[in-house]
Amino acid sequence: MAARGIGGQVAIVGMGCTRFGDHWDKGAEELLVDAVDECVASVPGVTLDDIDAFWVGTQGSGMAGMTLSEALRIKNKPVTRVENFCATGSDAFRNAAYALASGAYDIVMAAGVEKLKDSKYSGLTAVWPPSDGTSVDWTAPGAFSLLAPAYKDRYGLSDDELRATLTHIAWKNHQNGALNPRAQFRKPVPREVIESAPKVAGPLGVFDCSGVADGSAAAILVRAEDAYKYTDKPIFLRGMAFVSGAGDGMSHTGYDFTTFPEVVESVRRAYEQAGITDPRKELALAEVHDCFTPTELVLMEDLGFSERGQGWRDVQDGVFDRDGEVAVNPDGGLKSFGHPIGATGLRMLFECWLQLRGEAGERQLEDPQLALTQNLGGQPGACVSFACVVGKEPK
Amino acid sequence: MSDTNPTGIRAYAAQIPRHLLATTKFGPVDPEAPVRRARAVANHDEDSLTLAVEAAGRLGDELPGPLVFATSEPPYLDKSSAATLHAALELPDAVPALDLAGLRSGAAALRTALATGGTAVIGDVRTPAPGAPEELGNGDAAAAFACGGDGPLAATLLGGAGMTRELLERWRLPGERHPNVWDERFTAEELLELLRATAAAALADAGLEQVDHVVVACANQRVGKPARKALGAAGADAEVEALVGHAGAAHVGVLLADALDRAKPGETILVVSAADGADAFVLRAEEGVAAARRGPSVRDQLAARTPISYDRYLRWRGILEIKGAPRPDPQAPASPPMLRRSDWKYGLVGERCRACGVISTPPGRVCPSCGKHDEFEPVSLRRTPGTVVSFTADHLAPSVDPPVVLAVVDLDGGGRRSVEVTDLPAEGIAVGARVVPTFRRLFTSEGVHNYFWKVRPVEAS
Repeated sequence: MAARGIGGQVAIVGMGCTRFGDHWDKGAEELLVDAVDECVASVPGVTLDDIDAFWVGTQGSGMAGMTLSEALRIKNKPVTRVENFCATGSDAFRNAAYALASGAYDIVMAAGVEKLKDSKYSGLTAVWPPSDGTSVDWTAPGAFSLLAPAYKDRYGLSDDELRATLTHIAWKNHQNGALNPRAQFRKPVPREVIESAPKVAGPLGVFDCSGVADGSAAAILVRAEDAYKYTDKPIFLRGMAFVSGAGDGMSHTGYDFTTFPEVVESVRRAYEQAGITDPRKELALAEVHDCFTPTELVLMEDLGFSERGQGWRDVQDGVFDRDGEVAVNPDGGLKSFGHPIGATGLRMLFECWLQLRGEAGERQLEDPQLALTQNLGGQPGACVSFACVVGKEPK
Repeated sequence: MSDTNPTGIRAYAAQIPRHLLATTKFGPVDPEAPVRRARAVANHDEDSLTLAVEAAGRLGDELPGPLVFATSEPPYLDKSSAATLHAALELPDAVPALDLAGLRSGAAALRTALATGGTAVIGDVRTPAPGAPEELGNGDAAAAFACGGDGPLAATLLGGAGMTRELLERWRLPGERHPNVWDERFTAEELLELLRATAAAALADAGLEQVDHVVVACANQRVGKPARKALGAAGADAEVEALVGHAGAAHVGVLLADALDRAKPGETILVVSAADGADAFVLRAEEGVAAARRGPSVRDQLAARTPISYDRYLRWRGILEIKGAPRPDPQAPASPPMLRRSDWKYGLVGERCRACGVISTPPGRVCPSCGKHDEFEPVSLRRTPGTVVSFTADHLAPSVDPPVVLAVVDLDGGGRRSVEVTDLPAEGIAVGARVVPTFRRLFTSEGVHNYFWKVRPVEAS
């Protein structure tokens, strides 16, 4: 399998990201303008006209490339609209990076946006093609809550041990988000409040769920050898992979809901391209897909940070706190930064961008060199997964 | 009615819903309280058709045609529900399926099946208005009788009779939820006279003067007692009626099933039902009567039920609507994909890969295990039990009775379903729980009922 990847060939030289949350005064097009303008302004001497091609990710806040080209009045440029569940933003970035590496373009932009708060509904909704009506219409919390009893049963946790683990994840991500001026939720949340919240699905309460938010983020990419023409502090793509699941976890026996096989494979390839053999030691931070607290728990094992069945102990021991061995979601994650679907993958890269450039303010880590983003969409048993390693140096 | 070829019943089954209502007072119910009078209550995802599928599904495969479905509460007016029943029973295209409607349709289905050697399936859900005198006196149930086919008869038809009388006794306009009832003191007199005359004619046709078991089915609450007295009945059928309520068109079927449950070989049964006239049948139980019962007896089903509160009953019947989380209405299923996937949707037919033997659902063209294309054989899964791998109780998903419990279930012999769990006990379920498929109405949206197979916990036995 020729998955050589393009690690070392691509750099991010500019980024922008709106505050995530309730933007009652803005639609998707206005949010895109905010993120793109900030992104372009972050690269001295570059204007929107200099960008050769664009990718825009949105799950449902627009159709076609015109979601971006019309909002920004971009004329005579190629724009590709990307949709890949909650990994939409990451896949916009991935495709932009490949186009750049192919040599077809010199400078490209990946943007993502979601406008969720104009809906009158709770949680995420989707419009599916006409069907025979036999598929379970899983809500996101319902689908991801399947991880909790399965994990508890497989590793013999008590209800209290599971609860304390999930609470720590929510608590940590709210602590981190409180230090982030762009986050949706900017208050630390006491453990008692997390644990007494109304239930949404299974053991998951309101504070186990990520924030439904509006937002947009964007990145300007160039080939690695051109990076220093644009900025003194580029960040470099070191490895990147994507796996689209076969949905077989839902179709026949074998999958046990304590892992995401799609994540394991995508991250294995990204690590291999980046030359990472001990992720817990080598990575300073990881922006992971904490859509629900049990997701982050399972990811700690899938990403190779914890042994199987040990993730819950490591979580409770603070291994993934901001001052722990790997800072997981130092920007607050989906949990408190919010989850505007099409923007989320680029928001994860935005935190890596800030951290690796030393611009993360109050939540700045000490001299980070390598960072991971891991973004998934769908549900346990049937998901898509993106993984990407970025670093301060090209190699 | 008698001719050279004896006709009668070869197999039968009853379906009493797993819930009962014993009070019209609001507030919690004591699950341990003794129940003397109650109505059987279909769950919110059950209707006359799904109850019928449950009963008929027990009769076994290769049911004799025609298939006759009878109810006073047809899920659709223009569209046949017998066709849906036909699909859920995986019957061949060549078997005709007929729909009968109205309170008399249960006896009519029985008459048709006995005359044609077909299968009668009767299901009903009765919803008197809150406060109506019969609110607890009506109930929901189903029964199924296979009359033709091969093998020995469980009960031979000895004779029968029928009379018709135009009478405004109980009626309902299309779309109306609750039945209207004329003064029962007036209609009881008329029905009682018809019932006695028809019973007498049936006994004469059978050449009998008395029988061992009498079954009287009439929605008019003033008819049963004097009718039983006049016919010299012991009143065993009234015991069942007190615990089910009058189950509309299905009532005659449920009471006949109970009589067959109790009848010894050689004993005779008079079944008489009065609605818009009267119908009577005289049967004799044969050696095969015990073996002809499929599934639990009526009385065993009555003993295994769970009481529910009055407010829950009102929610299940759509009389009391609650506001859940704001979520979009579910999308109605579309006709072409429903037809393409008819075996799966109605018969729960999955597929087994001929190359690697793995069973997968829903059916597709590529094996999720070995990747082979178009190399499948169908495998019927509607009777296959399974084990819960993981589950959740979803408070966000729309339901009249939240939370919606969803599970991933591994089927015995292979195969996996992601599926809604219904008929949950108060204590809920756990990983490892055993479940079986059950045909339910998932939701109704844009005027389309979406039927499919959920699972329910296997009863503790």
